[in-house]
Amino acid sequence: MFFTVKNLKVSSKGKEILKGVDLEMKKGELQTILGPNGSGKSVLVQTIMGNPKYQIESGKILLKNKDITKLSSFSRAKLGIALSWQNPPAIKGVKLSQLLEKIAKSKTSKIKITGLLNREVNLNYSGGEKKLSELRQILSLKPKLVILDEIDAGLDLKKTEEVAKIIKEELVAKNITVLLITHSGEILKFLQPEIVNVMVKGRIICRHKGYKKVLKTIKDYGYERCKKHALFTD
Amino acid sequence: MVMKGAKNTHYLQIDNNIEKICQPKGVEILPAEMAWQKYDWTRKYFLTKPKKGYFIWAKEQTKNPLLSCVSISSPKIKQQMQNLLVVENNLKVDIQGTCNSSKKNLNGLHQATGKILIKQGAKVNYQHIHSWGEKDAVEVSYQFLLEKDSQLNYNYRVITPPKELKTNNRLVLLENASANLEMSASCAETKFDIKESLILKGKNASGMLKLRLAAGKNSRISADSQIKAEAEAKGHLDCQGLLTDEKAVVSMVPALVCSHPKAQITHEASIGRVSEEQLNYLMMRGLTEKQALDLIINGFLDYE
Repeated sequence: MFFTVKNLKVSSKGKEILKGVDLEMKKGELQTILGPNGSGKSVLVQTIMGNPKYQIESGKILLKNKDITKLSSFSRAKLGIALSWQNPPAIKGVKLSQLLEKIAKSKTSKIKITGLLNREVNLNYSGGEKKLSELRQILSLKPKLVILDEIDAGLDLKKTEEVAKIIKEELVAKNITVLLITHSGEILKFLQPEIVNVMVKGRIICRHKGYKKVLKTIKDYGYERCKKHALFTD
Repeated sequence: MVMKGAKNTHYLQIDNNIEKICQPKGVEILPAEMAWQKYDWTRKYFLTKPKKGYFIWAKEQTKNPLLSCVSISSPKIKQQMQNLLVVENNLKVDIQGTCNSSKKNLNGLHQATGKILIKQGAKVNYQHIHSWGEKDAVEVSYQFLLEKDSQLNYNYRVITPPKELKTNNRLVLLENASANLEMSASCAETKFDIKESLILKGKNASGMLKLRLAAGKNSRISADSQIKAEAEAKGHLDCQGLLTDEKAVVSMVPALVCSHPKAQITHEASIGRVSEEQLNYLMMRGLTEKQALDLIINGFLDYE
């Protein structure tokens, strides 16, 4: 398996947030995690990326069968994991072009962000600008596993389609493994993920191959009912 | 190694020896004691007979920047300089001054006092770079006089800090003069004692005083800055401190003193710690903790 999360339990400030999460991804696969706000999606991806704010109580994270559970976020990035943040912090005084110069393995990009390059990183960016900046940075890292946290949040349909096109062409078509986190699900119709995971209250309650069916279930009955419709549940 | 491009400098002093003086057309550069002898009028600026230091007199427009370099390259050197810079009416002059130590552990003392006289309508862009060894002590005290309609951009950067740094700079602005003074420094194992004051004496004078001070391991920074308005003038004081270590202390005291009813002077001040979120964000982009911290500090200091 290319990427595996095994029975991951995570807490922050003494409160248990993830209550045993399992996830498996094959190389080049596009999977998504759907879930309501506060279900633990962002905590999961930040933990996968090594944010020390979250304490791993038990469980393991494996990349190509290598245990990376205790590695720093710097080391995880070097191994090829890249996370697009939902709310990336502003870095005053540092232009996006300066940051790209420091981090980029690839200097060229099809993402047109000329107007952002001379602006300070994430400072006063619109929602769409933040997403494009994140994608530009992520792609410049030449990643092997890309995690996109709410990449569609706050975008109108046209922008969502634009972002989805970039994900398709620059990641999916190049056989890069993608884990997409979303709570609205709008972007899924452009991307058609191979597997949809539904996360509720710190647990993945179902894994399903048909994203349309899952979205319909959520729309009609709410997230909790997904468990009944799962093809394979944990 | 004294400095990059040292051979192009117009005034080069190593330890207490003047190694080179080169006079570009329209500019007279002399050792300070020689200027005291040659020009009586300099005495009211030097006050006492100087033993060391430089005199730079920009008399005509010059094409290239004036470059000065004062360096310490031997152990336990004491430099005590009295400097005088005079820029004549309506000239535009760029100055790049470097003061440094060629090694980390020379235990030197660099003391510089001086006057900078910018005459009517002149425009001066002054880049002042300090780069010291970790055992050096530095004391700098300059008085700037900006005559009517003159302009000054003064950018003082401490690239590598000494063990102790004291500054005491005072700018006086006459009618319609404007000054933009920026000071930035990042330090570790260092004690900084900074005093800066800007006095708006003439009508329509305007001044900006901007401090960016980042305190690292075992550092103590104390910065007293003041804008004083004695005329219908405008001024702004902008002080920001950044703590990059738990054992660092920054004290900032911005002061505004206004004695004219139509003067407008304002200030902003803040001291904060490096955000964990920013560090995590950058480390997730593949930077080490040190690289991430350096990038955040350089951004804070406005370095490119």
